[in-house]
Amino acid sequence: MSDMSLLPHGPLLERLLAGEFICAVSDESAFKRLQDDATREAIDSYLRPLNRRVASSQEEGVYFLAWRQLDDSARDQLARQLGDTVNSLLPLLEWLQLVQETLGRDSVLSPGDVLKPGELQAKSEDNPSLRERIERLATDSFFGSQSDQLDAQVKQVFKRLREHGYLLQPHGDRQVFLVTGKVDYLLELVRFIRDEEHLPVDDEGEDTQEALL
Amino acid sequence: MNDAETPGLESRLITTGVERLALLGRHAEALMQGYTNDQVPLEGLSHTALRKLLSARIVWRPDEQGGLKLTPKVRELIAEMVADEARRHVNADVAEALELIRSLIQSYRDSSSRGDYWQQEQQLLRLRQAVDDMNGRFADAIDSLWQRLNSDFGFVSQLNDKVRENDRAQKQVVRLLDGLALIDFDELIELVGSDGTLRKVLISQLQQQLSQHYTSLREVQHRLIELMARFRRMQARSRLVSGMAAFLREHPGFTPGNYARRSEVPALFNHAAPLTAAGAVALDRAQDMPTLSALLQNVPTPSRAAQSVTAARPAEHVEDTLIAARQQALKDDVETFYLNVVDRAEKAPISALDYLNQSELQWPPEIWLFQVIAEHQGLPHSEQRAFHLHQQEERASAYNDVKLIRDVSLGLAV
Repeated sequence: MSDMSLLPHGPLLERLLAGEFICAVSDESAFKRLQDDATREAIDSYLRPLNRRVASSQEEGVYFLAWRQLDDSARDQLARQLGDTVNSLLPLLEWLQLVQETLGRDSVLSPGDVLKPGELQAKSEDNPSLRERIERLATDSFFGSQSDQLDAQVKQVFKRLREHGYLLQPHGDRQVFLVTGKVDYLLELVRFIRDEEHLPVDDEGEDTQEALL
Repeated sequence: MNDAETPGLESRLITTGVERLALLGRHAEALMQGYTNDQVPLEGLSHTALRKLLSARIVWRPDEQGGLKLTPKVRELIAEMVADEARRHVNADVAEALELIRSLIQSYRDSSSRGDYWQQEQQLLRLRQAVDDMNGRFADAIDSLWQRLNSDFGFVSQLNDKVRENDRAQKQVVRLLDGLALIDFDELIELVGSDGTLRKVLISQLQQQLSQHYTSLREVQHRLIELMARFRRMQARSRLVSGMAAFLREHPGFTPGNYARRSEVPALFNHAAPLTAAGAVALDRAQDMPTLSALLQNVPTPSRAAQSVTAARPAEHVEDTLIAARQQALKDDVETFYLNVVDRAEKAPISALDYLNQSELQWPPEIWLFQVIAEHQGLPHSEQRAFHLHQQEERASAYNDVKLIRDVSLGLAV
C-alpha cells in the first residue's frame, strides 16, 4: 500500500497518536478500517519511524498504539503508566459496581451501554448509603471532586471517565454518555493482573455447564 | 371399551362440560386473583357458586382451615393461555402417552375384528386425541422454550435466576429429546399393520410432526447453550469486578510486578505515550499567503489598556506579616508531612492530597501541592535523593500538551 492510501486515515492517525483507544463505540468507521489487516499494516509502516505500531486488546475490542521497540525511555513511560493504572483500578472497579447496583443491572457495564448521570443521581438521592459511596468515590484522588454536592460529584466522576476514554459524550450539550470499549480493556487488564499475580479472585460459577452436545 | 360409553352418557358429558367451562368465564376475575395471589377471594362468591367451583375441581381446599386455591390443572391452563413462562409447565412424559396409544390401538383392532363399527369410531377418535395430545405437548413445550429464549428469560430479573432458568430449560429439552427417542416407529408400524386409517394417523402424520419437533428442539438447545455462555460471561465479569475490588480494598498497598521491565512486556500494557501532531504558521509558501492574512485579520484585537511609562515604577515590597505567617505555617505543615513519610513503617508512597484530606488541614489543594514540590526542590541534593517524589500528571486536553499535576506522592527512596 502506498502512502497515498493513508490520506483518508489522517484524523484516525492523529487520534491514535494522541493516545486514544479506538473501539466500535468511539468511532465505528475507524474501528472497521482498523479491523482490516492491510490498513493496519499500512499504518504500521507509516508509524515505524515514530517507534509505534497498532495494537489491540486480547478480544480485539479496542485498537491503540504500542511501542514497536521497547527502549529504556519507552519502558520508563510504561512503568509510570502501569503505576497510574494500578492506582486507578479500585476507583474504576468501585464505580462499575456502584453503577451496576444503583441502576439494578444484571451485569457490569459493556461497550455501547447508555448512561445518564441524572438517572444515577436520582436513584441515589434518597439513599444515604449510596450517597456516601458516591461521595467517597468522587473524592478519591482519581476522580478528584472537591464538592460536597451530589450533582457536582456525579458530574465530576463522569467528566473524569470521559477524559480517560471510558465514556463518550456524543452531544456536548446533552448529559447522555456511552460506554466505550475501554471498559473491556480495563477488565482484560484486571484479569491479566489477577492471573499473573495469582490473586484469589474467582470469576467462575459454582456450577459448571453441563456438556449437552 | 365398555358398554357404559353410550350416546346418552356423551350428551350428559357435554352438558356438564359446557356448564363447568362457563364457570371459568363467570368467575374469571376471582380465579385470576387466585392465580396471581395465593388464594381465591371468597368475597363475592355465593355458597352455590363455591360448591359448583369445588365440584368442577376448578378450586380446592388443601385443608379445612386453609383458603381456597386453584387446582393445579387450572393453574396450568391459565399459565398456558397467558404464556406465563415463570409458571408454564412442560410435560415431557412420553412413556405414559405411548402406553395409552398402544392400548387404544389394541382396543381399536379388537372392535374392528368384532365388527363393532360404532365402538371402532369411538376408539379412533380417542386415538386421534391421544396422538394430538402427545404432539401438542411437544408443540407447547417448544413454544414455551422459544418464548423464554426470545425474552432472554426476562421473567426473572436476576442474572443468577436466569442462569438457573436456562439450566432448567436445558434439562427440559433433554427430557423432551429423550421422550422423542422413546417413540419407535418400527414398533408402531408393526402395531398398525395394514390398517390404512391408523397408518395415516400414527405413521405418516406423526412422523412428520415429530421430525419437525426434533429439529426445533435441537435449535432451541443450541440457542440455550449459546445464551447460557453469554450469561456465564456476564456473571464472570461481575464476579471479576467485585472480587478484584474486594481484594484491592483488603490490600491497599498491593502492587503488581513491574511488567514494563520484563523482557516480554505483556501486549496489553504496551500503550505508547501520546504524541501531538502540532503545526504552526509558516510563511515559506506563497500560495498560503492569502489564507494566512485572512486568518490574521480575523484574530481578535487584544484589549489591553495603554500604560504610561511613568506609572511603571518598581513595585514596593511590602511584606505583610500576616501573609508571612501563613507562608510559614504552610511550610511547617509540609515539613510535618515529610517527617511523617520518614517515620512511617511502610514503604508505599503517600499521596499528598490524601494526607491533606486526612489531616484536616485547611490549605487549598493546589497551594499544598505546590509547597510539597517546592519543599522537595529546596532540599539539598543528598537529601533529595532520599525521597521519591512521583507527580501524577495529566495533559490539559487531547491536543494541549501542558501537563497538569493532579497529585504528588512521596515515599522514601529504597
